[in-house]
Amino acid sequence: MASFLAAHGFDPGPSQRPLASGAISGILATLPAIAVLFAFGSLKVEAHVLGWSRIVTLCAGWAAMAAAGAVYARIFGRAANDVRGGWLFGLAFGFALWAAGAVLLLPIVSGGRAPAGSAALGVALSMLVWGIAIGILLPFVHRPLHESLEKGSKRVELGPSAAAGKKQPIRQQRQEERK
Amino acid sequence: MIRVVSLRKAVSAGLCGAAVMELFSVVSGWAGLPAVDLVRELSSIDFPQAPLIATLTALVVHLAIGACWAMFYAFFFWGRFRMRPPIQGLVFAAVPAILAILVVYPELTLMHKSADFVVLGVRDYFAPLSLSVIGSLIAAHVLYGLTMGAIYRRPVGYKVGDMPSPFVARRKDESKATRDQGSAAFMFATGIECSYPTIEGGRWRRDEMDSTHHYELWQHDLELARELGITHIRYGPPLHLIFEGPGKYHWDYCDPPMNEMRDHGPEPIVDLCHFGVPAWLGNFQNPNIGKALAEYADAFAERYPWVRFYTPVNEMYVCARMSALDGLWNEQLHDEGAYARAAWNLANASILMSDAILKRRQDVIFINSESSEFSQACCPDPDIQKIADEANDRRFLPLDLIFAHPLGKRMHELVRQQGISQEDIDRLAHRAVPRRSILGVDYYEWNERLIDRRGKALALGELFGWYVIADQYWRRYHRPMMHTETNKGTPMARRAGSGASGTTCSSLRKAASRWLASPGTASPTRSTGASQSASRSGSFIPWACSTSIERRARSAYPTSI
Repeated sequence: MASFLAAHGFDPGPSQRPLASGAISGILATLPAIAVLFAFGSLKVEAHVLGWSRIVTLCAGWAAMAAAGAVYARIFGRAANDVRGGWLFGLAFGFALWAAGAVLLLPIVSGGRAPAGSAALGVALSMLVWGIAIGILLPFVHRPLHESLEKGSKRVELGPSAAAGKKQPIRQQRQEERK
Repeated sequence: MIRVVSLRKAVSAGLCGAAVMELFSVVSGWAGLPAVDLVRELSSIDFPQAPLIATLTALVVHLAIGACWAMFYAFFFWGRFRMRPPIQGLVFAAVPAILAILVVYPELTLMHKSADFVVLGVRDYFAPLSLSVIGSLIAAHVLYGLTMGAIYRRPVGYKVGDMPSPFVARRKDESKATRDQGSAAFMFATGIECSYPTIEGGRWRRDEMDSTHHYELWQHDLELARELGITHIRYGPPLHLIFEGPGKYHWDYCDPPMNEMRDHGPEPIVDLCHFGVPAWLGNFQNPNIGKALAEYADAFAERYPWVRFYTPVNEMYVCARMSALDGLWNEQLHDEGAYARAAWNLANASILMSDAILKRRQDVIFINSESSEFSQACCPDPDIQKIADEANDRRFLPLDLIFAHPLGKRMHELVRQQGISQEDIDRLAHRAVPRRSILGVDYYEWNERLIDRRGKALALGELFGWYVIADQYWRRYHRPMMHTETNKGTPMARRAGSGASGTTCSSLRKAASRWLASPGTASPTRSTGASQSASRSGSFIPWACSTSIERRARSAYPTSI
């Protein structure tokens, strides 16, 4: 799978920032997910299951979804940038997160307690909504975060003279000069 | 990771698969069999006051999930294994089946409870899974997989004989760029993927310009090339659509982009035959393709007298091998003799086309691009070594024919066995090769091969590298050379500190990343490409060229172009 992905241009490339894009998209995508949690009363239940207040549960969840967004963007690479298919990859990732997180991890962490009824439905739907949202958002979020080649190429001195007549890579030369 | 997916077909396949699943559940229920009805499970979770709406909603959700799985199948799974399509779908269906059994069904059971939360252990969680439930879920997913797989087939291409819409100008011609006609000293080039072989016994056409939506996005693609500063572009008009029969041409499949390039650039390197022929010509076993393609070349050169660069036949060796030896395209044969016959027909076609074009324009430049390959044995076993030697021998046959190089002994015998007369072989061997003929060398990650202990060729990646492989071609033909296709950087060259030769990456951004990541190397002064354009248009797949070998060739072979 990895070689297949790589052969078709999986690597997001140097001027893109998948972790930052993913984290920002993850944070933004959490907004509609929170709305679903409220609509089904799932936030209250999750807070009770975890033994935390709703605010703490919300904040912890938001941070977790930011991290999850970064992971999504890194795993899916350039596929996550695809406007046409991004929503599907996000949906799949959201489903996987629900299965791994809410279904598997949450009962383990909370001593066997798990949401049920409408709350469980709300948790499932919120993860799917988050997934779709991040899948839709990320192709647009990542674009303004690109580093331009012109700017990026100025960070390290390049050019034929950098290789000609020098024994060390330019970074090491600079470090030694600073010393 | 953007493979070409037919979303419409995937959605249809998924909807049908999900519908068959539900039908199975309903019929099983009527028959009194213990079947899980996922739609009923979904609909009974909530909204007890509106059962009809709940059922319809659940049905829509079920169908949508089926469609989503099918799209996932199309993106990631389809075509990965050499199985019949329904069996591929069946194998893939194991994924949703396992998730349905281990996650979805137990969770659906939890959602039916009236409490807000429950305390349960692993055993309680899996308690709803009786044997009949598991069996029913597996059976339903088997039907889903078979149905979905049977419907989602041939996502790209079209039936031979069908004609996609010709080029249409979607926007006004507002470009102020002009074609750079003067400079031929150094070419920064890229290309539009334009292969059009047939598969399935000549019944299905894999038209890459159609797959990549170039027929709709051609203006955007050419504009992107200009934006990058590309001066030359390898461009292959769709021969199979243009050349309808002897003396019959459908120039609508060519005029718009050619006129655009004439007026605004880039300068096209026109690829007249790229892995396929029109259906009426059959395949590359046909000895008459040379004469027919010469007629086409003559008509093309007459219609576009301003075109100066031609690739008469692209990658003759690859075309002959894939068609007649590997059994993948066109004639789909597995025969060494058929390979020799195809190589002869292709080389003959290239020569006749070149001659026809030269009659129309004497200063034309031919760029005969060919895949530069090398095979080596994994071990000193004589049988394995023989396979490698034969592969290395075989790779030169078409180029030997067009560049009037003596054939290797084995290839000579093979060609004679196909009924080619010694007079014909001698005619080619003594032919005056056009002075302005450049040898184009294509180099990909799979060009270097290792023959393993079973005698199978494995892609070795970049071991010797482009320099060494291209040098073998230079030493054999002593022609000016051009690096005409690649998807690789040159990490060995860079690690050796020779950053000045430049990269020939397919992605400008990828090239820049490697330079940025390895400080002290030379700037990417000779890199070209367009990964951003690929993601924007979905159809611009760049090739990049450098002429570091050409500079060496020029110094040793002073004929000027």
